[in-house]
Amino acid sequence: MNYGFVINNDTCIGCHACSTACKSENEVPLGVQRTWVKSVETGVYPNVSRNFQVTRCNHCANPPCVRICPVTAMYQRDDGIVEFDPDVCIGCKACLQACPYDAIYVDPEAGTIAKCHYCAHRVDVGLEPACVIVCPEHAIIAGDLDDPASEISHVLASNKVTVRKPEQGTAPKLFYIGGADVAMHPTAVERTPTTFAWADVLPLHGDGDGKHDEPMISLPVVKKSSDSGTPIRAPQTQGMPASGPIMIGDRRMADQMVQVVYNAQHKIPWHWPVPAYLVTKGIGAGLFMLLSLGLGFGLFGFDAPSFVMGGFLSLLFMVITTGLLVYDLEKPERFLRIVFRPQWKSWLVRGAFLLIGFSTLAGLWWVLEAGAFFGLLPETLAGAVRPAALWIGLPLALGSAVYTAFLFGQAEGRDLWQSALLPLHLIIQALMAGAAMLLLMDVFMDLPAAMAHVTFITFAAMLILDLLVTLMGEFGMPHASETAAQAAHLISHGPYKNHFWLWSIIAGHLVPLALLFAGSATVFGLAGLLSIVGLYFYEYAFVMAPQEVPNS
Amino acid sequence: MTTQNKTIAGLLASVFKASVPPARVALHEPAATGDGAATADEFGLPRFTESELKPEKVDMTTVLHPDGRMSQYPPPEKWDDWVEWDGKQWPRRVARRYTLVPTVCFNCESACGLLAYVDRETLDIKKFEGNPKHPGSRGRNCAKGPATINQIYDPERILYPLKRVGKRGEGRWKRITWDEALNEIAEKMRASRQKRRDGIMYHVGRPGEDGFTNRCIQSWGVDGHNSHTNICSAGARAGYTFWSGFDRPSPDYANARVTLLISSHLETGHYFNPHAQRIMEGMQKGAKLITFDPRLSNTAAKSHVWLPTWPGSEAVVLLAIANYLIQNDRYDKDFVRRWVNWRETLAFFKEKPYADVAFDFPLEGPLKKLGERISEKLGEKIGDKIRTLLADFVFDKAQDEEAFDVYDRLLKTLYAEFTFERAAEEAQVPVERIREAAEYVADCQGRLATHTWRSASIGNLGGWQVARTLFFLNVLTGSVGTKGGTSGNSWNKFVPKPFDTPPAFNAWNELHLPHEWPLAFYEMSFLLPHFLEEGRGEIDVYFTRVYNPMWINPDGFMWLKALKDEEKMKFHVALTPTWNESAWFADYVLPMGHSGERHDLMSQETHAGQWIAFRQPVRRVAMERLGKKVRFTYEANPGEVWEENEFWLDVSARMDPDGSLGIRKHFESPYRPGEIINVDEYYRWIFENSVPGLPEVAAKEGLTPLEYMRKYACFEVVTDNYVPYEKAIDAKGAEVDEQGRIVKDGAVVGVMVDGKPRVGFTTPSRRLEFFSPTLRDWGWPEKEYTLPWPLKSHVHPDNIDRANDEMLLLPNFRLPTLIHTRSANAKWLYELSHKNPIWMHPSDGKRLGVDSGDLVRVETKIGYFVDKVWITEGIKPGVIAMSHHLGRWRLEESSGVNQGASNLVRLGEDGKGGHTLNVLHGAKAWKSFDPDTSRIWWEDVGVHQNLTHAVHPDPISGAHCWLQKAYKVIKAPPGDRHGDVYVDTTRSMEAYREWVAMTRSAIDHSPDGLRRPHWLKRPLKPVKEAYKLPKKPFGR
Repeated sequence: MNYGFVINNDTCIGCHACSTACKSENEVPLGVQRTWVKSVETGVYPNVSRNFQVTRCNHCANPPCVRICPVTAMYQRDDGIVEFDPDVCIGCKACLQACPYDAIYVDPEAGTIAKCHYCAHRVDVGLEPACVIVCPEHAIIAGDLDDPASEISHVLASNKVTVRKPEQGTAPKLFYIGGADVAMHPTAVERTPTTFAWADVLPLHGDGDGKHDEPMISLPVVKKSSDSGTPIRAPQTQGMPASGPIMIGDRRMADQMVQVVYNAQHKIPWHWPVPAYLVTKGIGAGLFMLLSLGLGFGLFGFDAPSFVMGGFLSLLFMVITTGLLVYDLEKPERFLRIVFRPQWKSWLVRGAFLLIGFSTLAGLWWVLEAGAFFGLLPETLAGAVRPAALWIGLPLALGSAVYTAFLFGQAEGRDLWQSALLPLHLIIQALMAGAAMLLLMDVFMDLPAAMAHVTFITFAAMLILDLLVTLMGEFGMPHASETAAQAAHLISHGPYKNHFWLWSIIAGHLVPLALLFAGSATVFGLAGLLSIVGLYFYEYAFVMAPQEVPNS
Repeated sequence: MTTQNKTIAGLLASVFKASVPPARVALHEPAATGDGAATADEFGLPRFTESELKPEKVDMTTVLHPDGRMSQYPPPEKWDDWVEWDGKQWPRRVARRYTLVPTVCFNCESACGLLAYVDRETLDIKKFEGNPKHPGSRGRNCAKGPATINQIYDPERILYPLKRVGKRGEGRWKRITWDEALNEIAEKMRASRQKRRDGIMYHVGRPGEDGFTNRCIQSWGVDGHNSHTNICSAGARAGYTFWSGFDRPSPDYANARVTLLISSHLETGHYFNPHAQRIMEGMQKGAKLITFDPRLSNTAAKSHVWLPTWPGSEAVVLLAIANYLIQNDRYDKDFVRRWVNWRETLAFFKEKPYADVAFDFPLEGPLKKLGERISEKLGEKIGDKIRTLLADFVFDKAQDEEAFDVYDRLLKTLYAEFTFERAAEEAQVPVERIREAAEYVADCQGRLATHTWRSASIGNLGGWQVARTLFFLNVLTGSVGTKGGTSGNSWNKFVPKPFDTPPAFNAWNELHLPHEWPLAFYEMSFLLPHFLEEGRGEIDVYFTRVYNPMWINPDGFMWLKALKDEEKMKFHVALTPTWNESAWFADYVLPMGHSGERHDLMSQETHAGQWIAFRQPVRRVAMERLGKKVRFTYEANPGEVWEENEFWLDVSARMDPDGSLGIRKHFESPYRPGEIINVDEYYRWIFENSVPGLPEVAAKEGLTPLEYMRKYACFEVVTDNYVPYEKAIDAKGAEVDEQGRIVKDGAVVGVMVDGKPRVGFTTPSRRLEFFSPTLRDWGWPEKEYTLPWPLKSHVHPDNIDRANDEMLLLPNFRLPTLIHTRSANAKWLYELSHKNPIWMHPSDGKRLGVDSGDLVRVETKIGYFVDKVWITEGIKPGVIAMSHHLGRWRLEESSGVNQGASNLVRLGEDGKGGHTLNVLHGAKAWKSFDPDTSRIWWEDVGVHQNLTHAVHPDPISGAHCWLQKAYKVIKAPPGDRHGDVYVDTTRSMEAYREWVAMTRSAIDHSPDGLRRPHWLKRPLKPVKEAYKLPKKPFGR
């Protein structure tokens, strides 16, 4: 048994019967859709066409949403249906990032994720999905791909079909007859046009926050002349064609139109808590790593006040990290499920255990140190445990700092996040943020000279390294996919350019670097603070921009 | 809940929040502020119980489609008691136990089958799916079918009869009982009927049924039927009728080789879902699709040939195709010879005013040689004389095939001017596309399915000629009633006779069909306020039924004036499931059921067959299945929502309590003498006595005919119904008149064709009338009217000066997702489409300096409106288009039309005819028992453009010609706000008079002293006596 869909865009007339039948069958609330008819028009009058594409979950053979789900709320049934259980879902929204097709949404009523479930409740008793039986044109065919006698197998065998984004390696089982490039490729059209033909556009950043979605950028084609005088076009940025990936004319409108008539939209799932968590986690892990490495390699000696305070701050930021993570869940009351029903392929789970392991170990160690410092516990105990605790804690801290790179790597829907630089970048950021925090401590409590010196050197080195990696991430190697390129472009030239240039590069790197020449602990502390603020702005841009790039 | 809006408090709340199901809350209190305001009752979200039973695997009903595809549905033998898993609760296995009740959709005219899932415990309805047994819709639906559930559980629906307190339009209502409503209304009707026979008017928008209400009106003995036909299909009906006697097409799309559509029938057709299935079925088998539409509709996008013709040029393009067939002898001469009234045509062509046709027919063939020889021998003068005599002889005696050659020559001469090049120029389309279309048509092999309904035929002055020139192609290709051709609706629609048919009335309501429009199809409904303004009459009792005249008709402020005038519109009863702009100005608002809450019998000509479908109040049927007794449908519906069937039976009986008016006897049960018939008995009689084959089929299942229809809700009467006009008739004892018609007992019953008696068509000649004697006799003798010929539209390019910011406004296209103008109570439909921006070509946008989303002011003859634009290459330059559905409004914040679907507006008046409508705000989220109403995320709900449309009554068909000349289209000046409307009603009356001046009154042109050709249809025909011209016609 292996269920799939064939959707015939050639016979689809864009009537939306499937859209409302699905709403009815599954009681889908207003504002979200499990299936919809994307409609794109192209051409120049009178040579114009409109393309319809029934768009929904692909029930991938290799579903990234299932792999990233920390609690097996999203799972692939033995018969190939990708189903979800709202009673299990904790609302982490990782699956929304993992899905390269915009098929998943957060149900405004339940606060859990939902999507097309192939009407499994019908299929299990022998009924076809609601969208299949309603369609006047039989444009939607459901059935068993493994059964050579099934209608779907016949249709598949005798038609040319395409799938959406095969390059994501998800092996979609929704096959289109008559798939049109302009509809299949989400970046061929504006994700946030000012209006659709008969519908308003949905504010993607949530409702009522007053923030308007900024349109995607269209680059002008620069014209030049060749030596012989022939007008030629200047080469464009790699991966960033001037008029979108499907370029018909110089411009999209007027000369040659490619515009979206209707599309369902998805609100951006992750907002400030995610970049904030990246920062706090970096500080927590980085602080510990610095203390551990410094002492372990004998770069500085043990200093009880500094270690107790440093350990305290590390733990404090880990607690804030946990708080942010829980807060960002749509179902925060269910957060313990990550521990009690882990799905081990998910880096959310692996990361959670790293965070727990690290926090527990660091916590135990700190209790001993603080107990000794305040005279409640024998100092010998702390001293005996210290080397082991710091050495064992080091890889856990490192893991805590770096695991997000692998979690982001599982987000098939956000190509920019799937960067090979990311693990390195996260380590650098953690060390930089940890050092920045020590510099700030130094303002208030005078660290021992050796420690202050190591901190200064580390901070300066990491700041420079971070600047290099940040710029490399943006402008180094061209991005492997157009969506990654678009996201990077949004960071450097789009709505996040201030986050990037003003806050991250200037305020977060160049100014702190300049301040390092000042020679005062207070100014160093200010440099540290600025680098942390800059880091937040960078992370914000890095988390948000790829979510702006359309997946459907 | 979004991430951004979360607060710590909210987080805590969500942690501790118990998941409490939403409670049933009080229904919206109507605007009732007066005495005894409507009290709230328990009405809210549907509730369902969990069943102990588990769904079982059964053999599903497989609907096999002609092209081999199939789909699966619960089998009818399990409908009574059906268990399935709940989709929302899944993967938790929550079983629901339903009884499945079939009914008929009411969200367009198609009458598709629905299957309601009614919870056996709570009697709440879970959903509406397709009825797999329905021959028209075959288990499938469009977006509007499933959305029926939105209408049932609409938080803003009217649940009780309401009576106005305070002034009309003040919005103050009190709840009354049905008994009070019935008595008060019946008394008014009785008083009017005792006084006169033209005082009661039933004005219907969507009838959604065949004959029930008309029978009631007929029983009252008044000329009381008014329809919406003249703002809808009058043009097409006229065009089809003059040809064939039937007034609408029934194309056999599934078997066509070529489908030619004037406008977007594939996604919005007249019988949308049944037709869409069959058009695509035909295309999958290789049919070519040709579409005329100035706008890139979904249909146009799916077409092999899209002809974005300038509105009004359609007839020229169609005749260019016809001319191609004629000049190249690629038309079906045998069919034309047998069935067209060409002999009549030739006879007329020797007379004036056709003498101007340069036509050398007598010199053709052997006659030409004979004439030449005579000239040689006897000289030119005598030769000419004899030639003329011979010509007369040919005209008069043309009996054989050779005479048909003369007709062929006539066609070749007449239509020679319609070249592809001329058509391309007038239509402003690429000539090669016309040529391509013509080639396809020429190759259709008698399988040309064509359709025109609203668009061009209702858009243009003379639009009825679009239907006539279109059907000309069917005639020329012999695709009339053939497999894959185009039939007449009357062949494929089955309307069974009820138990009693009251006699025709002797009355003529001057407000319906005044003498200026003797050929109108039908009542001049949209001119009612203008007629009242002129003092042509007044109305004692005015019923509106699924009809919102102030909103949907052109010139709505004239309607506002009429509806407010208690002198002329004395008593207004609105029968409606939901609030609308006009009901706000009624005296009584009576809530009537949606589909699934009422009885109706319907049939539509969806394909080459006949079926009937039975709309049922599903909760009532479910209750009866479960052994509960229901006397009236309002006992089963939400609140006291009733149905028209029972209402009309009751009010009609009360109108004549003692039988003295002769009305009551038509409402007495055939089963219980002397007692008033009930709805069960009404349909029982029909199913037992008037539907051939039904009693036998029912008996096979051990059911009575009524039980059978309650179970399946549909029955296929005839299948594969082709060329019925060829049916041989028994001509024994009949006479054949000089036109070849067979006359039996004084009535024409058929026609001789090639010496055989055939039933023929329902035209006076019993043939297809290429030449219309009716038009000639009733004051329109020019060939432009009597023949399929283009007429110059009021929006012809000559009348639109684009350089001067003039444009053509196409205001009447449909979207597949909306229920005409009545979608406001279907949230899923509004979520998909809620606004109607002006479609504009980039070149026009550039000229005006506007881009998508910018505001534009569009001035018409009588006022202006302000709307946003949608720039697209999918519209003809020079034409702007706006969907006709949107722009609903209300006058109070929390009452009137649904808040998520209407603008809150303020109306203004300057006392000198100037009227304004200003939008205060658009859609807003609001709190109700339905959590979805707080999730309304859209704001723009469109602009009410119809208010600014001048009335354009076509002098022949009576159709309101919807296309408007936009006198000025400009970027909105500062101060203009989206949705603003201004109209000067003094200009409204000027426009009206200009168009009245184009008519040719029956007073001046009637050939027989009648008001109207007796053979033409009327929804309810009076006795012939009533047809006599009035002694004192208005205005004379």
